[in-house]
Amino acid sequence: MRKYFGIVALIVVFLAVFVPFASSNPDGLEKVASTFGAEEHQPFWSGLMADYSIGAVGSSYVSTVLAGVFGAFMVLLVALLLGKAIAPKSHG
Amino acid sequence: MHIPDGLIINNPAVAAVMWTVSIAFLVWSWRKAKAAYSRSITALLAISSAFVFVAQMINFPIAFGTSGHLVGGTFLAVLLGPYATMLSMTIVLLMQALFFGDGGILAFGANVFNMAVMGGLSFFLIRLLNRNSHSNGRFVSSVFVASWVSVVLGALVCALEISPAFAGGVLVTVPSMLLFHAVIGLGEGAITTVLVSSLQRLQPSVVGGLALLRERKVL
Repeated sequence: MRKYFGIVALIVVFLAVFVPFASSNPDGLEKVASTFGAEEHQPFWSGLMADYSIGAVGSSYVSTVLAGVFGAFMVLLVALLLGKAIAPKSHG
Repeated sequence: MHIPDGLIINNPAVAAVMWTVSIAFLVWSWRKAKAAYSRSITALLAISSAFVFVAQMINFPIAFGTSGHLVGGTFLAVLLGPYATMLSMTIVLLMQALFFGDGGILAFGANVFNMAVMGGLSFFLIRLLNRNSHSNGRFVSSVFVASWVSVVLGALVCALEISPAFAGGVLVTVPSMLLFHAVIGLGEGAITTVLVSSLQRLQPSVVGGLALLRERKVL
């Protein structure tokens, strides 16, 4: 389990360092949709933390880093479960 | 390249077809992965999936006031092989859709195909380009090309999927998506080759896909 604490720590450091440099420009698909006036509807589900931010946290930097840590932790957890489901016996 | 539901909600047929195709690929990769992988893959699977999730949050600027981010499909393919890559990227996309509204629920099938399936399949392109060469330069350039192709092909399919939402249809979406993603793909290729070459140096045992390529062993 120790190695996973290390990984979570590394993820926090990675996000803390790189989030301020992330570009806020629209991505390729968003740019295409806005430039050519796509017929876009309101989504019916925009997630619990829409756009990687937590409403209750004032600073957008802290909010994005926390959202990222939460997301990475969930991915880590589900991927671990997947790994155990793929190879249930310890024959490796 | 994450399609929001807003762009696909009026075309449920497209969404349904892509869900079906992606489920078929996921069932296939699940079966293959179950037959091929041992427990030892679990840690690498979990850690690399989490890394790809955070890497996708960091958009880099390209020209035209637009940005892109690493998709990471080819990176995963080198580490995990094709089948675990499709499953791993699907987990990343699922968490993005459920928690962050990044990519839709109806559009989930399309997003899985464009990024998870394309990423996994890029493994076969690396193998094809690499042939039985033992040259490291050739391996690294194969990884670069496969990264670029996986992003550009994903963008092409994405352009077709979203085209009904545009008055100009495919004539508008295909050229513009290809233009942006030809550039974003260069970023994908550059980041992926840097990551893979650094891992080769620091943790050679981790580059499992590389070992697979060398042994010419199909999972």
